[in-house]
Amino acid sequence: MEKLYAERLKRYVTAMRKGKPDKIPIRPFVAEFTAKYAGFTCQDVTHNYENAFAAARKCAADFDWDAVVGNMVYVWTGLTEAIGLKYYAVPGIQISADTGFQYLEPPEEHAYMRPDEYDELIKDPTGFLFNVWLPRVSRFVSARGEPTSLHNNLSFLKGGMAMLSYFNSFGRQNDLLRKESGTVSAISGIFKAPLDIIADKLRGYLGLLTDLQERPKKVMAACEALMPHLEFLALSGADPEKNVPIGYWMHRGCVPFVNMEHFDRFYWPTVKPIIERIWSKGHQVLFYAEGNWDAHLKSFAQLPDASIVYHVDHGDIFRVKKEIGHKFCISGGIPNYLLSYGTADEVREYCKKVIDGVAGDGGYIMDASAIIQNDASVENMRAMTDFTREYGVY
Amino acid sequence: MDKSKNEQSKNKPGVCFPWEEKLKELNEIKGDKEIIKKVWEDTDALGYIYIWHCLLSF
Repeated sequence: MEKLYAERLKRYVTAMRKGKPDKIPIRPFVAEFTAKYAGFTCQDVTHNYENAFAAARKCAADFDWDAVVGNMVYVWTGLTEAIGLKYYAVPGIQISADTGFQYLEPPEEHAYMRPDEYDELIKDPTGFLFNVWLPRVSRFVSARGEPTSLHNNLSFLKGGMAMLSYFNSFGRQNDLLRKESGTVSAISGIFKAPLDIIADKLRGYLGLLTDLQERPKKVMAACEALMPHLEFLALSGADPEKNVPIGYWMHRGCVPFVNMEHFDRFYWPTVKPIIERIWSKGHQVLFYAEGNWDAHLKSFAQLPDASIVYHVDHGDIFRVKKEIGHKFCISGGIPNYLLSYGTADEVREYCKKVIDGVAGDGGYIMDASAIIQNDASVENMRAMTDFTREYGVY
Repeated sequence: MDKSKNEQSKNKPGVCFPWEEKLKELNEIKGDKEIIKKVWEDTDALGYIYIWHCLLSF
């Protein structure tokens, strides 16, 4: 098994560094699909991470995949319920046990950060999160000046211990993936853009759009205040061996969610220096470009060669290849709708088209466009895997 | 600590409650100050990881 692991790691890393491995690596970001395959509900894997780990390992053992994420469902709702986070709809509680967890964004007037609170965030981001943000996003945490409570105290105690337990368990999971199926843990560490954090968790998307018009200097100062923290967190979880990349989850910082001026003025200047510093320390970053980021390929091309792996969701993968394929490894591009509603022949045909157009010189990793959930068919996942194994030999 | 240094330490990654502020609370250190400082900073970083991963990951 160790020999298989070494072969897969070499294949995966070679492709990510823009090299030509023996075969095209297969690295599907399988989330709730693992539950479906292993006979679990979404609730089973979201609320009990040991089920999620077991499901991920079963898929890794049964499919010829080079790398997976130890738990791509990722959000353990046992933890989020212990903290009392309001912004989740939890399978088996607010939504059906067979539906994946959902993020809930409050209306603009109830955003978790008010427009007049930028200065407090900018001055002391960590203090702001503890003192202002957390009491608003948690059903249990007392706000400043409020009396404490059993719920408040338990939120910190249970939340802290649960988070530590969960994070520590990934070491064992990655070790089991390696020993049981020779599978590589695909990413290590997490990064998000400052502007995305403001939209996702602080001001909300609509609030951010208002602020970009009405208080742009405050938005920029807030992005700059968040930068060192987001860089620190990305590096704190990075692979010490410097093999696998830090995952960068790209949300609503692209056209048309914001306009090009906003991207050029706010989003990119507060991301690019971080990526460059991370690369200077020897770590790649996986740009998981959810949605369509084609309008910004010229900006991404400014980054050092091989500093990132660029994952294509709704973007035009052939355009991506043309514009940045000479610099970076590309992954993804197989439409999720095809994996869910297409035939196996259609999946094979699309994989052939992508391999022919993108993978010729190496530097390509097979994957779906987006996270693979429980609507994907097992037959089509086998078709994507087996076809790539047969056809994707260099 | 002057105001600007205090504000800098409040925006330092990995820190919730800076050692410099904690030190002011300790009237006297009879033993090894460096051990106390290191362990304070290590455990303080756990609090930092907690709140920032609430924001970033969950």
